[in-house]
Amino acid sequence: MRVGIEVGGTFTDLVAIEDGRVKVAKVPSVPARPDEGAMASLVAGEIDLRSVADLVHGSTVATNAILERKGAPVALLTTRGFRDVLFLQRHNRTQIYDLFYRKPEPVLARRDILEIDERMSGQGEVVEALDKAVTGAKIAEFLGAGQYQSVAICLINAYAEPKHERQLAALVAAQFPDLTITCSADVTREFREYERTSTTTLAAYVQPVIDSYLRRFETELGEQNFAGRFSIMQSNGGRLPVAGMSRNAITSLFSGPAAGVMGAVRQAGLSGYGDLITLDMGGTSTDVCLVADGKPNLSGETEVDGLPIRTPVLDIVTVGAGGGSICWRDDGGMLRVGPESAGADPGPACYGRGGEQPAITDAHMVRGTIRAEAFLGGAMDVDGSASSRVFKELAEIFDVSLEEMADNAVRVADANIVGAMQLVSTERGRDPRDYVLVPFGGAGPLHAARVAEELGITTILVPPNAGVLSAYGLLASDFLQYETLTRRIPLGEGAAELVRTLFDDLQQRATTSFRDLGVDGELNYTYSLDMRFIGQAFEITVDIEAEALRELDADGLLALFNEAHNRVFAFGESGLHRAEIVSFRLGASAAPDVVPALNEGIGDEATRGQTRIFDQGEWQDCLLASRAAVKDQAEGMAGPVLVEDGTSTIFIPRDWVGEVDDQDNILIRNLGKD
Amino acid sequence: MAIDAVDQAVISQGLIAAAREMGVKLVRSAYSPVVREANDCSAALLDRHGNVVAQAELIPMQLGPIGATFRPCAELFPTDTLVEGDFYINNDPFQGGQHLQDVFLFSPIFFEGVLVGFGATVAHHLDLGGGAPGLNPDATDVHQEGIIFPPSKYNMDHDWNGGPLERLIRANIRVPDQTIGDFNAQFAANGIGGRRVMELCGRFGTDVLMEAMDELLDYSERRMRAAIRELPDGVYEGEDFLDDDGVTDEPLRVQARVEIKGDNVIVDYEGTCDQVGSNVNCPYASTVAAGLSCVKAVLTSPDIPFNEGSKRPIQVRAPYGSLLNPRRPAPVRARMLSAYRAYNAVMKALAPSAPDKVIAAGFDSTEIIVLSQLTQDGYKIYLEILGGGYGASTHSDGCDAVDSPLSNCSNVPIEAMDMEYDYFRVEDYSLVADSGGAGRYRGGLGFQRRYHILADNVTFATYSDRFRLAPEGLFGGADGVCASTQVLRGDQVINLPSKVSFPLEKGDILVARTGGGAGYGEPGQRAEADVERDIREGFISQAEAAE
Repeated sequence: MRVGIEVGGTFTDLVAIEDGRVKVAKVPSVPARPDEGAMASLVAGEIDLRSVADLVHGSTVATNAILERKGAPVALLTTRGFRDVLFLQRHNRTQIYDLFYRKPEPVLARRDILEIDERMSGQGEVVEALDKAVTGAKIAEFLGAGQYQSVAICLINAYAEPKHERQLAALVAAQFPDLTITCSADVTREFREYERTSTTTLAAYVQPVIDSYLRRFETELGEQNFAGRFSIMQSNGGRLPVAGMSRNAITSLFSGPAAGVMGAVRQAGLSGYGDLITLDMGGTSTDVCLVADGKPNLSGETEVDGLPIRTPVLDIVTVGAGGGSICWRDDGGMLRVGPESAGADPGPACYGRGGEQPAITDAHMVRGTIRAEAFLGGAMDVDGSASSRVFKELAEIFDVSLEEMADNAVRVADANIVGAMQLVSTERGRDPRDYVLVPFGGAGPLHAARVAEELGITTILVPPNAGVLSAYGLLASDFLQYETLTRRIPLGEGAAELVRTLFDDLQQRATTSFRDLGVDGELNYTYSLDMRFIGQAFEITVDIEAEALRELDADGLLALFNEAHNRVFAFGESGLHRAEIVSFRLGASAAPDVVPALNEGIGDEATRGQTRIFDQGEWQDCLLASRAAVKDQAEGMAGPVLVEDGTSTIFIPRDWVGEVDDQDNILIRNLGKD
Repeated sequence: MAIDAVDQAVISQGLIAAAREMGVKLVRSAYSPVVREANDCSAALLDRHGNVVAQAELIPMQLGPIGATFRPCAELFPTDTLVEGDFYINNDPFQGGQHLQDVFLFSPIFFEGVLVGFGATVAHHLDLGGGAPGLNPDATDVHQEGIIFPPSKYNMDHDWNGGPLERLIRANIRVPDQTIGDFNAQFAANGIGGRRVMELCGRFGTDVLMEAMDELLDYSERRMRAAIRELPDGVYEGEDFLDDDGVTDEPLRVQARVEIKGDNVIVDYEGTCDQVGSNVNCPYASTVAAGLSCVKAVLTSPDIPFNEGSKRPIQVRAPYGSLLNPRRPAPVRARMLSAYRAYNAVMKALAPSAPDKVIAAGFDSTEIIVLSQLTQDGYKIYLEILGGGYGASTHSDGCDAVDSPLSNCSNVPIEAMDMEYDYFRVEDYSLVADSGGAGRYRGGLGFQRRYHILADNVTFATYSDRFRLAPEGLFGGADGVCASTQVLRGDQVINLPSKVSFPLEKGDILVARTGGGAGYGEPGQRAEADVERDIREGFISQAEAAE
């Protein structure tokens, strides 16, 4: 049996698959002790751990440690003169007219930082050597006086030459063998000291937390005689055997959204679709990600609580539009949705827990697109009259009917989602019309069709059990690691040969690392270069196919770069500036030996009914169908149809037609636009 | 016909997102550190009449008057004569421009042959010629500050990409590869904005789009007026001073009279001193931006989209021939300094009637550091922009070490400098303890940078302020600490004035220390825990705490 357990903020989801049979469980999370929620999901799913061969886990432990400032006490060693880098940050404001502006708070205090006498040049030459004897004594005094569990080491220009960082790490390890040590050179090798110091410090801050969490988790698994493989999800969309987390904890940030994307990639891939935009809509926010040819876009940067992190993550854009998003009128008279959310508690008004502001879930209750009797598969009691009450007040302010008000709120929420989708598509030089929309999460499939219409997308693919797709994504994800290197190489004579040599080295490193972690089997490699015109400061990623790499010359590289630059910035080679390579990224991945398919649950009967919904300005008769009923109708089912599958509600509006394909995905197509 | 409310929301968001994307791409494809690292640039979308409808939130100073910079171009070269590929250019301080370094470019956007709007960008260019690389602090007229582009129309095909305008500029500036690269980044960003507007036209039609643009202006105006109405009617006065004009030691007075009447505001700078012979004169467009930005920041929530509509309720007047509305050919390069005092004077005027919305005075100056070197390979110019501490408020301490309110430049990372400049090295970048004024909430701290000079023939040029006149505390708070610049040469300590050019020698250490912000409320009322934290963290010393 293969089991994925995804711990989210509100719910812990479990997907278990054996011999094509799928089991799903959803239990409340235990925020203070996420492993308890995970164990509870195993009980709820009646899983016998002795029979589990593959267990994959994703959690918000790392993210919460930062958000709640509950990481390990951490010290930072940095170059003399730069103790304040984390407080100075980048000297700018994210809100330009905010007079009361405050910078994001670093996770450590100023007194936790020790300056070291040393300096490296930007070219990686020693400007001031590190005196080991003197430094060793200073470190002993400083760390001895504090109650630290973890030490971050980030020196100026160490991205170019990490020698001094290595020496410091050795000095610390020799005197304080119990401390976790994190060097910037092992976490990120990009220039810009604030971002790199922030990343290194956060990595050091979460590492002991993850270590002890996973130790506890493994102990509990051991007590239940688990003997299979245990792996952990990362924000780059791949997993690592649990041992790999001992030096990579920062990569477990945002693993939940990444798992969802991988689930979507796998499930859509079975139906032959590789160019996707994923849309994961939950209670407070919506995550979108663009996938080209089965590969999700990567980004080199992200942030938590305003603190920058530079490590490869899936390029997921989050917008504050979810079921709990509050609908309101601003002082200019415009209808707004979010970013404030009613969350899970009190939740939307219909939860009856004291929520008095109209939320998107309430809007659906009013429109009839969420039915009280089918909420969470009927497992939760909700009060539709409360939704009507709160929306009535808003409707009076805008002087429209109740249902028009709810309809307008949904359309504004859709517009917010469209904005996020444009960020990952048009802004990156991709035309959304070339992509299939894959919605999941509790509310994604409800909003997908209208969002698709706004962007001219004509095909939607809704995976089975769309509400727990993230947990499935854990099982579907490859083992994945990136090796990166910063090395500036101007394009010209010999550049291509050097690129091949350096990629060979990286490939060697990645392969050895995987074998050490016990990942056998065939490895696949991806190659990409970050390039720019000489003089620019931001790079564009150029992907190179393995085949092309062998044949490549400098002219070919330039052509690839020009094409990428032109796609993003709408201009390319001007003849003014030469191009250069700045950094290298090699991805190494191994597919899990078996990837189970996410087919229908057992016992889904073909039921049909009738309901009334309000959509796009009018009441309509709407068919109510189970997934099995859609599947039975081979010629497809024309909208309006609501499909309730227990984990989410799927809406097929007028002018759209849905059918179930042989992978149990529901394909929804726009009539007349195909 | 009233536009559908949801269409309006969608188009508004689309326009704001497009402007933001223009800004991001301008920064990301630029070449000079002042644009690509410090982000001294802005972007906006204009309607077909030249009204700003949406902007990338980058630099308040540059954004305020984009419409005013546009208008002289359109008056000389009417918009109905424009064809594809045309663009307007303007940096003339006496015809809607600010200082010469900020060059505004406007590219018309056509959809199916109809003019629907303009993509607009402005970037601070590293060097535009003139009497010294990057900054000529000794200029006695505008002509010594660089090349003037009067409001004009050119065409990409005829005049750029090796054409006569590009060749003319290239020949008159010192670091052409970086500068022309930055111009190209501006053109490209304008193009991106145009493409997004065309996509919106394709979806909604040009009529709906234009209507949505009009409504977006009205919407911002309504929100602005609603905010102004909350303030009691009345006439309020405030004043502030610049240290000097860099030539004499005489403080320069800036006086503001703010009248609130219903939902209108009139800011009048009558009483401000006459224009001066040095570069601190502030062109009228910059004065308007300073007054507007202050009123907007104090009165309204940060999420009101700032556009031409939000300016409608606010009038800004400045006497012709004064420091805040100088006559040609006054030099204007350091106009930010006077603009800040114009900003401070309005803030002080509003303080008594809106004590919970204003903040105490901060460092509120733009300190420019230029380090240049002429070698056999041509000029090398390094330029950066330093802020300092913010003033405190009734809500919290002032922000430490951040760019001043009218600007929003990032720092240039040490590692970016080390990659490219071999004639200096920064050896210290740190907060200055005790530089914030005490108070119930303390002022933000200033910071310092120490530059070790590694070669001979390096010239330092700068302008700054608050070297002698400290920012004043509010409601009992203490003043902030002044800024200073020193050169350490062997055993010698050379104190430099705030506005100067100075030759450096190999081995010199240049220390630029910016000022802190002033405090808010009586220091005795400060929470004990806050004092303890400040001492523990070294933000204030024991001695300072005792006082």
